[in-house]
Amino acid sequence: MARRVIYPLYQLGNPQLRIFRTNFFMTLVKPGKEQPPDTVQFRIPMEMTKCDVKNYLEKIYSVPVGAVRTRIQYCTNKKRNHLSQRVKRPDYKVAYVQLAQQQTFQFPEIFPQKDTAYEPGSVEEMQDQFMQDEQQRQKADPRRGGVTEWFGL
Amino acid sequence: MLGMMYCSKMAATSTGRALSLCRQFQKSLSISTALPLQHTNVLTSCKAQLSTFRPKFCLLHINNVGTSLAQQCRALHASQWRRGLEEFFDETPNWGEPTVKSGAPWTAKQLRTKSSEDLHKLWYVLLKEKNMLLTVEQEAKRQRVQMPSPERLKKIERSMKRLDTIVQERENALRLLQTGQERARPGTWRKDFLGRTFWYRFKEYPIPWYLNRRYKRKRFFTQIFVDSFIRLRIESHLHSKILKKKADLENKRKLQEKFSRLSART
Repeated sequence: MARRVIYPLYQLGNPQLRIFRTNFFMTLVKPGKEQPPDTVQFRIPMEMTKCDVKNYLEKIYSVPVGAVRTRIQYCTNKKRNHLSQRVKRPDYKVAYVQLAQQQTFQFPEIFPQKDTAYEPGSVEEMQDQFMQDEQQRQKADPRRGGVTEWFGL
Repeated sequence: MLGMMYCSKMAATSTGRALSLCRQFQKSLSISTALPLQHTNVLTSCKAQLSTFRPKFCLLHINNVGTSLAQQCRALHASQWRRGLEEFFDETPNWGEPTVKSGAPWTAKQLRTKSSEDLHKLWYVLLKEKNMLLTVEQEAKRQRVQMPSPERLKKIERSMKRLDTIVQERENALRLLQTGQERARPGTWRKDFLGRTFWYRFKEYPIPWYLNRRYKRKRFFTQIFVDSFIRLRIESHLHSKILKKKADLENKRKLQEKFSRLSART
């Protein structure tokens, strides 16, 4: 289906409603709490239902879907801006999709740490060197054996 | 229960992803030789190469202007497309990169040349790309790192908006030809209780208006005692128009004076 569209009224005997070019966008998110290996977590628009999620994934992404559970996350209206007006953080719906056919899914590391070798004499290399020296200076004296500065001497 | 139309899985190919964004090809056909679009007997080599080859630049070439998008992509349709949830993420070499190259968005002029079937498929290609970008954006916010090339989102949004405009244009034209109706949703001019004239768009109800209690509480007429206020409103509207006109003339006069003085100096 689609967002911000007035659906025609359904009465018994009406033809199946078909909406071409759906307006729904789903975001795959990493679960905050540990989930079972076959569960995938999505943030979906509020207007989407469990059936919508199932059809969406099966038809567009050809992912075999077993069960879908949804909940609505209420986000705060307590924060205030510089004019002390309350600013609402938009609510969103979360869908927990369990894959069928005993498939598993693990959220991957999309931003791996890449060790880039800087060219000698460049600005980035000097900056990096400086940061490393600073960190070395901040570290405590290893001869103290982990004893903090609070204990004198 | 809720059916959704989706033509083919062709739209899910990596070439589809490149097609979605890249309209002006930047490099020569050297990149495309690995995936020639016109020959059907290349399917066997295509299948092996599609898994490893990741085209970054546009594959919509000048030599394929005559053939439609569907015909081009039919040639390299790989039935082994089993990516599924991987399509929510970018291609593996792009992970961790600070920037990802992408082409220009689709313009309305280019989209008007495409058939409805092609536009339908393109919509879903763009949809998948947007889902991928939203996923990456959310993950970047979570990890507190910068998202690589956030301008891609804007490009996709603009392309989709333009696509929608063109589909609406075509629907409008069809409706005008078949029924003579200018609008999809019927409406009428009405006056509200303050005397303002507005376009009221009809809504579908299961019951007639005289049984609809909430609708009867709305008043689409103006009573006589409001006339003086309508007159005041008209007066203020005319006054603001005059003021605007005067301000424009004043501005023009000042600019004339300033630049005529300058030209007089030189």
